[in-house]
Amino acid sequence: MNLICAQQGIVSLMHPEQGIRDLKQVGFQDILLDLSACIPPTELEHYVMNSQSSDLGMNFDTEERSLLDRQKRRRLLLKYPEDLYAFLEPVLGRYDRAGIKTSIARAPYLQGTAKKDSTRQFMGQFVSKCITACSQAGCSGVVVRPLDPGTADCDIWEVNRQYYLHLAEAAKGTDMLILLENLSRDRNGHLVRGICSDSGQAASWVDELNREAGEERFGFCMDVGTCNVCGQSMYDFILALGSRLKAVVLRDCDGIRENALLPFTCVDSGHAQTDWLNLIRGLRSVHFDGSVILNFVDTLEGFSPILRPELLGLAKAVGNYFIWQTELERLMQKYSSIVLFGAGNMCRNYMMCYGNKYPPIFTCDNNPARWGTEFCGLTVKNPESLKSLPEDCVIFICNIFYREIETQIKDMGISNPIEFFNDEYLPAFPFETMERD
Amino acid sequence: MLQIGVQTQNVISDLQPDTGFQLLAQTGFTCADFSLNSYLSNSSIYRSDISHFFDRTGQELETFFKPHKLGAETAGITISQMHMPYPLYVSKGSSELNDYLIHEVAPKSMVVCDFLGCPYIVVHGFKLARFLGTEESEWAQTEKFIDSIAPMAKEMGITVCIENLYERFGRHIIEGPCCDAKKAADRIDRMNEKYGAEVLGFCFDTGHANLVGIDFEDFIVTLGSRLKVLHIHDNDGIGDLHQIPFTFTRNRENTSSTDWEGFVSGLRKINYNGVLSFETAPVLASFPQELKQGVLEFLSRIGQYWGEKIVE
Repeated sequence: MNLICAQQGIVSLMHPEQGIRDLKQVGFQDILLDLSACIPPTELEHYVMNSQSSDLGMNFDTEERSLLDRQKRRRLLLKYPEDLYAFLEPVLGRYDRAGIKTSIARAPYLQGTAKKDSTRQFMGQFVSKCITACSQAGCSGVVVRPLDPGTADCDIWEVNRQYYLHLAEAAKGTDMLILLENLSRDRNGHLVRGICSDSGQAASWVDELNREAGEERFGFCMDVGTCNVCGQSMYDFILALGSRLKAVVLRDCDGIRENALLPFTCVDSGHAQTDWLNLIRGLRSVHFDGSVILNFVDTLEGFSPILRPELLGLAKAVGNYFIWQTELERLMQKYSSIVLFGAGNMCRNYMMCYGNKYPPIFTCDNNPARWGTEFCGLTVKNPESLKSLPEDCVIFICNIFYREIETQIKDMGISNPIEFFNDEYLPAFPFETMERD
Repeated sequence: MLQIGVQTQNVISDLQPDTGFQLLAQTGFTCADFSLNSYLSNSSIYRSDISHFFDRTGQELETFFKPHKLGAETAGITISQMHMPYPLYVSKGSSELNDYLIHEVAPKSMVVCDFLGCPYIVVHGFKLARFLGTEESEWAQTEKFIDSIAPMAKEMGITVCIENLYERFGRHIIEGPCCDAKKAADRIDRMNEKYGAEVLGFCFDTGHANLVGIDFEDFIVTLGSRLKVLHIHDNDGIGDLHQIPFTFTRNRENTSSTDWEGFVSGLRKINYNGVLSFETAPVLASFPQELKQGVLEFLSRIGQYWGEKIVE
């Protein structure tokens, strides 16, 4: 899996240096090329609503445009989208020098509906140009939100079929994937399920578009926050998409408003407000191996810029943790033999969910009273037994005192690989929990 | 013209059920959703604090509810649907508790339903996906339960109705059992084919659907004729408040934040001819006693308004 950091709130298009340095310092190696930051939805909307060509005033030829200041050039991108790559080039060059990739981009999008034919045509042409720029920037995927015709008389699928197939033409000959995204719909202030919120239907859209494009040009990007706002079961959502799911926008929110908070920070009375369990279960079930786009712009805005490097460090750790959780089973597959450390709930949960597939040789525990007893079909041994393990045998710590136990094992002079097992997001849970010590 | 119904909870008392049924008739209702669940509340089930109401034999239960039956008949009110106590399975409950719910409460609820001449009984599917890992394995347990009462349902001519439910994360609500209309439709068809009778149907709960942003029209149209009964109530999209429709707005224009147009359009498209039944007992608790009659009249007026829109 590939961890991508959303650019908004971190890297300014006008003054990118500090943001790029902050990102590099904490180890982010990939950033979302967010073209909706160049051309915000409100500006785009205003442009298409106001006779498009005349709104930006005078006409400029290519040379004249290149001499304008950067802010003015940015505004003119709506009129001259063919300038987009040239406009982005200085920032892309800085990313490149910092060793940061832009493997996924987000295309500009309308905040509201595309009721008029002319708006839809404009979007088709405009986003096509954006796709060309993304391809030049080396992106392998671009998230393009579906168009909402906003009227019951219009066939939503037909509008989007034409739109996406038009975009496919622009992507022809490149390896660029166009990723559809799930949207919410504003029902008089209440966010409800919008276009591509039915993942079964979204999957059939992707298949049909690929069939008509004659190649695998389309995939899906799941916005976790949108699923959360729409109260959806993320496990079922992901399962219906299967291998069509290429990217996941990872953000937290309270399930009511469209915020982008750092995952695990939106809590109420100690309870997460996002169903991380079903998200992780779903991604594991489809063996997700795509991109995770971490978006926490609202958390960033809430913190002082002085604390930004520390916050970015935490965000990187959260992203790494999320990937580690999702790939937990792959970690078990990596080793030829396994022993466990711990003979409590976590060991029992390991045995319940993974015991048959990845059977441990034994478990060990620091409690001498448990030595020689059986637990969940495993012999409980003295940790000293770890000294005679074969070299490639991994020790999975099944106890929340991970770091303490890790130090204990290392202090015993044991050089076997040590990994943490975690039972917060199991594929199934026992009805009963044993009392912890 | 469609018939209009409302929950009996907070209207009908066990001491003088006839008075409550008269009030329903006076305020424009022709049907009632019998709140059998109020005799064993969900909070007491979760506390394993069983009221023992259902320790009575079937005969004793019939004797207990005879005045209710007579009161409804005298007032001209049809008991058109009923709610079985819920939950019927507590994941962390004792086996005694769960056995009691499945082997005592459920079949005796069917007996009461039959005695009151009620054609539909609403049940809650089991909430087990978190433990079992998938919605499919959760449904398998619900189906096992339905299998346990389906023969009675067939014999009594009752349709058991599953309802769209929600799960809770802290105070945030997400979809729970029976929120996928396509799956529900397939499962209902399969069960009915298996039993050679309409033993299973659907109860669409507007409030629960609103909480998880479901498209009302699409959901109703997908269910089609499998939709047998309704739980109509409103909320703010955040909490399960069971309030009067059209109450909630979330923008400065103060337009309704619940998709009642989609609701009416969906029912019209499937030629719904069941009862427009309100599940709004909490409304009667929040308004003063002196306004109860006015509130009931207002609810039935909303039902009549929709009835006209749906059949027009």
